[in-house]
Amino acid sequence: MNSCQVLSRENLTHLLDSVDTFLFDCDGVIWKGDNLIDGVSETLDFLRSKGKKLVFVTNNSLKSRAQYALKFHFLGISVSPDEIFSSSFAAAMYLKLYNFPPQNKVYVIGGDGILEELRLAGFNAFGGPADANKTVDLKQNIFFEHDKSVGAVVVGIDPNINYYKLQYGTLCIRENPGCLFIATNRDAVGHMTAWQEWPGAGCMVAAMCGSTQKEPIVVGKPSTFMMDFLLQKFNVSCSKMCMVGDRLDTDILFGQNAGCKTLLVLSGCTTQSALQDPSNNIHPDFYTSKISDMLDLLEA
Amino acid sequence: MLRIESVLTTRAVVTALPQTHKSNNSTLWFQSVPRSYKLCRNPLLLNNSKRKASYSSSNSSRMTSFTTRAAVQPLKNADELIDSVETFIFDCDGVIWKGDKLIEGVPETLDMLRSKGKRLVFVTNNSTKSRKQYGKKFETLGLDVSEEEIFASSFAAAAYLKSIDFPKDKKVYVIGEDGILKELELAGFQYLGGPEDGDKKIELKPGFLMEHDHDVGAVVVGFDRYFNYYKIQYGTLCIRENPGCLFIATNRDAVTHLTDAQEWAGGGSMVGALGGSTQREPLVVGKPSTFMMDYLANKFGIAKSQICMVGDRLDTDILFGQNGGCKTLLVLSGVTSLETLQSPNNSIQPDFYTNKISDFLSLKAAAV
Repeated sequence: MNSCQVLSRENLTHLLDSVDTFLFDCDGVIWKGDNLIDGVSETLDFLRSKGKKLVFVTNNSLKSRAQYALKFHFLGISVSPDEIFSSSFAAAMYLKLYNFPPQNKVYVIGGDGILEELRLAGFNAFGGPADANKTVDLKQNIFFEHDKSVGAVVVGIDPNINYYKLQYGTLCIRENPGCLFIATNRDAVGHMTAWQEWPGAGCMVAAMCGSTQKEPIVVGKPSTFMMDFLLQKFNVSCSKMCMVGDRLDTDILFGQNAGCKTLLVLSGCTTQSALQDPSNNIHPDFYTSKISDMLDLLEA
Repeated sequence: MLRIESVLTTRAVVTALPQTHKSNNSTLWFQSVPRSYKLCRNPLLLNNSKRKASYSSSNSSRMTSFTTRAAVQPLKNADELIDSVETFIFDCDGVIWKGDKLIEGVPETLDMLRSKGKRLVFVTNNSTKSRKQYGKKFETLGLDVSEEEIFASSFAAAAYLKSIDFPKDKKVYVIGEDGILKELELAGFQYLGGPEDGDKKIELKPGFLMEHDHDVGAVVVGFDRYFNYYKIQYGTLCIRENPGCLFIATNRDAVTHLTDAQEWAGGGSMVGALGGSTQREPLVVGKPSTFMMDYLANKFGIAKSQICMVGDRLDTDILFGQNGGCKTLLVLSGVTSLETLQSPNNSIQPDFYTNKISDFLSLKAAAV
């Protein structure tokens, strides 16, 4: 039974009364590629003026929180790094919470964002973009070395993925005793550019699953790790929260797993027909075209 | 203490399934691929679903739906085994050679089997070379093996496309190495991609749009040391956007012995990557899928009960033999140790095991 309601003036008013905190996904909700989606600025201002807390939760691990804050700034929106939870940050927080020994190293298959967050958290991280141009020359007798003190491999979206990185990560996970295999997220594709979707972290993570035959610990949506972390950090409760996203199997599932309200926007990767397709069994509480509909609905 | 869950995304596991399409021009080739993606009793799929079960577990135990077998016996009476079958299928890495070195006693063993009138076939998941290129390797090692006796997974991919009458006006995008390109060319198929796409770089700039050929009707993925984001995106666009586009994997080996000294990330990694971005399961033509077994049983007119599969890897070679319904012999001259075979975590039990194939000669001598 499809219980998903289109957002209306009535249910929106009720939502605004019952919710203190709005969690926003970024790609497809706030921006698309490097373009701000229409009306976002005004909508966020409106919500802040109503005393709502805003938190931005993104699975995109290419940037760190500080780098995301800069992106918001360039787009004319004032957001502090503390309000941003990127999966790059989540990976660092996971290691911190689980007392990852600082003398162990972390190998990164992903972007600068992950490296920066790991280093900020005090970990010895290497790999990332520095390995983008490394090749493997499979001559006879070549031996591929890897650092035996690597205690965790963190995998996120990596447009510079190559065989060297796959082999390095594979050897660490298969041969270093107790080495953790952490995935920032498993999104299959994402709007890395405005015009089309591109392979996401789900691709690199699955490549590593293919060679290690292990399943990763996932820190990004829809895993509740980030939710548990920010609930504690902001001292808010799920019942007074609404997750706003464009993707059913990460954003909406994330909100549902945590027990908060969910609002799907159609400004990103999900169409109305995909939402209403009989094969879809993830139903948000509400759906609407884009977040600025909130303003239009209340004005009407 | 925070509750940590490795919650994976729920995703519809979409399995594309073509039925083996006999030559019949009344339906378009891709219309034989049900768009509703239901599971059906296709041998390629049965093996894939077994494979999926093994991939979802994080330890090394393997699911098998076969009837419980008695614990595997060391080979004692080689004559009895040799006399009971007509054909021997040999894996190559770890059975015939290791890296570029021949394993001891191999030439004499193969000669003995031939002198007893046995048919010999060589089946390898390695897709980097074509059959012809493998023929050269055998020759360099002093072995008398003809091209027609060699079945690499590169060949299997081309043979599969032939078996479903893949149209010659459709193209194949290749994420893999030369062997696949050569086999596709021999079979008369148009292809794009391969090693030369290894130099293509992506810059995710605003306004950038990657185009792809809408005539690509199949993406073939195998081991690729030149793997990169361009290829992944190209393959992903073809599979997601070209109607009926097939996703074919030469094999899914997690690791492979490219050099003698250590393991290397194998085809399973590249195939995994495309599976991750398309959220589709591939058709696997290499071991343990029985495609190659069915193909050569059909080609040579042999009954499966007359075949013995000899390999060094449980989850490809031995499972291949078991899936195909033939006898299986594990050799310990490759990646599997006796300890691994006898471990409680291992549920794949071959009929016999022995150290290396030349035991056929020494055991034979002892039995006299």
